[in-house]
Amino acid sequence: MAIEIPKNLDGLPTSQRRFVGRRVRRREDPALLTGRTEFLDDIKLPRMLHCAVLRSPFPRARIESLDVTAAEALPGVEAVVTGEDARRWSHPAASSPDGWGGHCLAGDEVRLVGEPVAAVAAQSRAAAEDALEAIEIEYEPLDPIVDPFEAMKPESPLVDEAKGTNKMLDRVFTWGDVDAAFDAAPHVFRESFRWNRVGANPTETFGAICEWDPMSLELTVRGSIQSASHFGLGRAAVFGLPSNKVNVIATPHGGSFGGRGGTRCTDVACLLSRKAEGRPVKWIEDRMEYLTAGGSQAWDRHYEVELAVDADAKVTGLRVKLVDDLGANGEPYGAICAAKPLAAFTGPYAIPVAAYDLKLVATNKLPSSPYRGMGPPPHFFVLEQMMDIAARSLAIDPAEFRRKNFIPKDAFPYTIPSGNEYDSGDYEQVLDRALELADYAGLRRQQAEARAAGRLFGVGVASAIEPGVFDWNAYAIVGLPGTGVPEGATVNIDILGMISVRVGFAMEGQGQYTLVSQLAADYFGCELEAVRVVPMDTQSAPPSFGPGGSRLGVAITGAVLGACEKIRGKMTRVVAGLMQTEPENIVFRDGKFGIPGVEGASMSVAEVAGTMLARSDLLPPDIDPRPEATHVWTAAGRTEPDAQGRAKSYLTAAQSVHVVAVEIDPETGQTEILRYAVVDDCGTRLNPVVVQGQLEGSVAQGIGAALYEEYVYDDDAQPLTTTYMDYLIPTVNEIPELLRDEVVTPSPFTPLGAKGCGEGAIHTTPAAVLCAINDALAPLGARAREVPATPNRVWNWIQEAGDGNQTPQGEGSNG
Amino acid sequence: MSPTRIPVRLRVNGRPAEGLAEPRTSLVDFLRDELDLTGTHVGCEHGVCGLCTVRVDGVAVRGCLMLAVQADGAEILTVEGLASPDGKLHPLQEAFAEEHGLQCGFCTPGFLMALHELIDDEPNPSEEQIRDVLGGQLCRCTGYAGILRAVQSAFAKLGASPSTESGA
Amino acid sequence: MKPAPFEYEAPSSVEEALRLLADPAIETSLLAGGQSLVPALNMRLARPERLVDLGRIEGLDAIRDENGALCIGAMATKRSIERSALVAQKQPLLHEATGHIAHPQIRNRGTLGGSMAHADPAAEYPAVAVALDAEFRVIGPSGERRIAAADFFVTYLTTALAEDEILLEVTFPERPAGEGVGFAEICRRHGDFAMAGAAATARLEAGRYQDARIVLFGVDATPVRALSQEERLRGEVPSEALHAEVAAAIGAGLEEPPGDQHASPEFRRQLARTVSKRALEAAVARAAKA
Ligand SMILES: Cc1cc2nc3c(=O)[nH]c(=O)nc-3n(C[C@H](O)[C@H](O)[C@H](O)COP(=O)(O)OP(=O)(O)OC[C@H]3O[C@@H](n4cnc5c(N)ncnc54)[C@H](O)[C@@H]3O)c2cc1C
Ligand code: FES
Ligand code: FES
Repeated sequence: MAIEIPKNLDGLPTSQRRFVGRRVRRREDPALLTGRTEFLDDIKLPRMLHCAVLRSPFPRARIESLDVTAAEALPGVEAVVTGEDARRWSHPAASSPDGWGGHCLAGDEVRLVGEPVAAVAAQSRAAAEDALEAIEIEYEPLDPIVDPFEAMKPESPLVDEAKGTNKMLDRVFTWGDVDAAFDAAPHVFRESFRWNRVGANPTETFGAICEWDPMSLELTVRGSIQSASHFGLGRAAVFGLPSNKVNVIATPHGGSFGGRGGTRCTDVACLLSRKAEGRPVKWIEDRMEYLTAGGSQAWDRHYEVELAVDADAKVTGLRVKLVDDLGANGEPYGAICAAKPLAAFTGPYAIPVAAYDLKLVATNKLPSSPYRGMGPPPHFFVLEQMMDIAARSLAIDPAEFRRKNFIPKDAFPYTIPSGNEYDSGDYEQVLDRALELADYAGLRRQQAEARAAGRLFGVGVASAIEPGVFDWNAYAIVGLPGTGVPEGATVNIDILGMISVRVGFAMEGQGQYTLVSQLAADYFGCELEAVRVVPMDTQSAPPSFGPGGSRLGVAITGAVLGACEKIRGKMTRVVAGLMQTEPENIVFRDGKFGIPGVEGASMSVAEVAGTMLARSDLLPPDIDPRPEATHVWTAAGRTEPDAQGRAKSYLTAAQSVHVVAVEIDPETGQTEILRYAVVDDCGTRLNPVVVQGQLEGSVAQGIGAALYEEYVYDDDAQPLTTTYMDYLIPTVNEIPELLRDEVVTPSPFTPLGAKGCGEGAIHTTPAAVLCAINDALAPLGARAREVPATPNRVWNWIQEAGDGNQTPQGEGSNG
Repeated sequence: MSPTRIPVRLRVNGRPAEGLAEPRTSLVDFLRDELDLTGTHVGCEHGVCGLCTVRVDGVAVRGCLMLAVQADGAEILTVEGLASPDGKLHPLQEAFAEEHGLQCGFCTPGFLMALHELIDDEPNPSEEQIRDVLGGQLCRCTGYAGILRAVQSAFAKLGASPSTESGA
Repeated sequence: MKPAPFEYEAPSSVEEALRLLADPAIETSLLAGGQSLVPALNMRLARPERLVDLGRIEGLDAIRDENGALCIGAMATKRSIERSALVAQKQPLLHEATGHIAHPQIRNRGTLGGSMAHADPAAEYPAVAVALDAEFRVIGPSGERRIAAADFFVTYLTTALAEDEILLEVTFPERPAGEGVGFAEICRRHGDFAMAGAAATARLEAGRYQDARIVLFGVDATPVRALSQEERLRGEVPSEALHAEVAAAIGAGLEEPPGDQHASPEFRRQLARTVSKRALEAAVARAAKA
């Protein structure tokens, strides 16, 4: 029997929807607010040891000698491991692109500052760190590979000799007759852009507690792990263990945003546990480890972009060349961030053809990790600046230029040149609301006055797409083939009608346990408190990928509702039997099964569950008497990528328009955000409070990327931003108040019409802020082509414009 | 090199507590590891993030920048001591829940303790004073909007409302 | 990120502290508020064998008026300075600068003496001390001595304090009537160490500068006093053009501003101009127009 999952809120079997789609207080909060939630570092296991990792101080060096005997002899030290142990007991890690993974501890060469070289398990973390100082190691430093353009030259030394090249990937994707479009275009705009490394920085760093059972050869890993099942499979491969002998217990996350890598040190802790005869070993990444060598850094990009525009001001083609500096290996899967733009390559615009020249390059820097948005945020920063460059050159208002090029609302579902399909949207309505909310006309008047007074006042209008509900096929071009990302839930009703929902992911901050409760409570007509959400370890959980790729809200809704539907089906048969009628005659609504028009023919969910569990003798003979069902949801209709990487990948396409007004102080280069307005459309909002929170947090991260955050390396590949004094996370005082509004066009493809919205605003914020900065700088002829737009950079741009050092703006001659 | 551990006696959340600490042990590590009060979190160990904020003799301090031995004899208040014993949340906690002032919640205990001092010190703080305190606490999830709403609502509940002079 | 092991002493008197500090057999550091030292310990950048905590010595945190001068004990916290009505009234520049240092949670423990002894080039207090002609009362094995602010800050993180000396108190002489003060700094984020900052004082007589002082921080290894431009202001009528000229000269006159990932030397030079002008303008605006 096919499971029908309601496509909209009215499809829920309740006449009085109390929770789903309403502003519901989160059930996660009381424990968090009182300090009772158990995070990884709060766990103490009997006989547990603490791990500290010795890391390379050099970006590239040969290890001449390594002697750990003195460290091993120290009191309190229980085990020391080195690259030799890693080679004896483990395999190189998987990577993207394929083949760019290594062992968890360096062999005879180190390839980045912070690469693990040896590690100690001791009675305390402090003692373990003491022991690191007793390890004797000699390096012979080698010239590091720092610049990706130099790295691509044939004469460049190699990050990994065995690979024979520093190019991890070098491919051109062409979607349509791009050359013809550019040849025919009366206007072609060209520009270069730079996006510097930024990254996730959840307040809780990564960590793991690893237990290697020497008798059963089973491995248990507790960790603040984003996708536990995936992580478990990875560990099984690394240690050559059968997949059913690796159990991963994900603990609640203190934030994630994609930046929870840490497989190398997890594997190190596993090795230490093995060496320490199975004692649990805890590794807690400290902040400097995180910033230097954790899942902290993403998107180190050099862009060259061309936009073709016809005489009607319609964009007719887009060419993007990207050189992405991925760092020293592919283990943290940062490469997928270069692949994801395919899911929304042309943004909200009806651009018919496009090309993507993609080079992923290895250097001696920290390998690039995923980060919220997974790659499109820099892509949209670039695309939106190009839209403004074109609009400015053609003397068209940037908002109107966008309106003219938007995908029209009757064109959905709409397939973009790079192959993905957008589900639904009304981009003009979103734009109109945003312009109104921001008082765009008023801002332009203010700007005219400010400019007349010689002040640098700018307004940015930017729009972007947030692809939601990821599928592996989106990343096929960087070597992660396959389709299908499962999310499962097991719903169980006990003898008194109390509901438990077993899931395979830990809480992370997006209120998913509340969402699960909302769904089950509205479905079965009970209170939220009657629902318990139970996270399971990977060996017991239903199939689950967990949070990531703006998918969990949609996917878990499908899973929970699917399981609820299955229970309803089962219960309907039971009730039909008890009421001596056919199942078709039974209606379920508001928590009761009944026969319409038949007085008294009514049973509550609890009554049915009680009967099922206590009186199997009364049930249809072929029925499983447990009021329990599991449903695994996957996005339907995903396709294998074609030769040009085109696939239906992300299921939903949320859209937003941000309007930002800034003023720049020409003396100090400081940018002040004067107004910030956001209107977005992410379909049905399952818990509007949570959606709002995701948006607010994502805007803040976007402002960080636009103005403050940057991982800096010096010319010798030494990281300079290794503390929170240097890597500048915005505080409350850097974030403006938001004006917000929303448009809702439900997705026709998803449970309840919700779209992925967890990554959200960061897709648009850096673009919008930089559009505003460029608008402010325009009268000076100064141009912002790099993020973050730090005070020093902005001041430089102004100086260069004053010195006449900037070449005239962007439009190239054609032909 | 077996470091000596020194007895540290203090009062935590109104009750006497004692344990042993190496001189190098920070107050936050002592609270978490020795006294099993794991509600206070650690985020940077160099004073910037504010996750480790607790009140020591009434003032909000970085638990990672104070040694446990320095706190000998002090009166400590941690997040575990905010709600009343019957489980009723402190108005500040209540306001955070109501206004979605937390997402992952990892930063929240630090925010609560820093604000708890402000509540005691300034029944009617200016926006500038609020921002001065909040500026010393990092949150990566909320973008601070929910936290600001929560603070407004908490002060309103506590019988005063922060002046609305703009500091933004 | 745990410190290397060390011993810990918390003497109850200055004499005892001096004795501990004088022991040549063990490398000893003084511990005040810990807001600079403990991060360095945690990162194992500082590795003393012993800490001598000044926190249990009575009376080192007093803030008092001595014949019009303001004397502040080394262990007075920034929070107590910020909240002291006496400081606000007698030394408004010190008071204003305090609010720019980090956040209350740091100021609650960070001390005046710690900031002076630490001598971070980007810190506010050393510049303020130079601007206000503060005097440092210091004690060592051979007794007390006084060091003028102008002589106290030697170079990057280095002061005139000997290794066996303790800073006891900083005295800020009474300010002349009618003086206006100004303070300006440019940070990446609110509360951060400044990329550049300036403290200024100004007195006017008959609409002209009687005297003025400008001290910059964050732009060299120690606070930088703009002596020649102070001189140049004397007797002039304050005007926007004059201030711009003076500020430009201050920027141009900097020897070799440091460069880091937040600000290049050239940009620091520019910021020095801006903060000089802003601090000076604020000081003039507040000076009595007698
Ligand atoms: C997140 C953060 C932000 C900060 N932002 C700023 C800022 O914007 N501006 C700023 O100026 N500072 C800032 N600081 C530093 C802070 O102000 C420190 O408090 C101050 O620099 C040192 O004071 P302390 O009392 O904490 O000294 P400690 O850290 O205890 O000591 C610092 C040094 O001074 C020595 N010392 C201390 N007292 C004496 C004494 N009486 N005699 C001799 N030597 C002594 C110590 O041995 C040590 O070497 C910040 C700190 C943090 C953690
Ligand atoms: S852990 Fe103490 S401030 Fe970050
Ligand atoms: S709620 Fe996650 S860091 Fe603040």
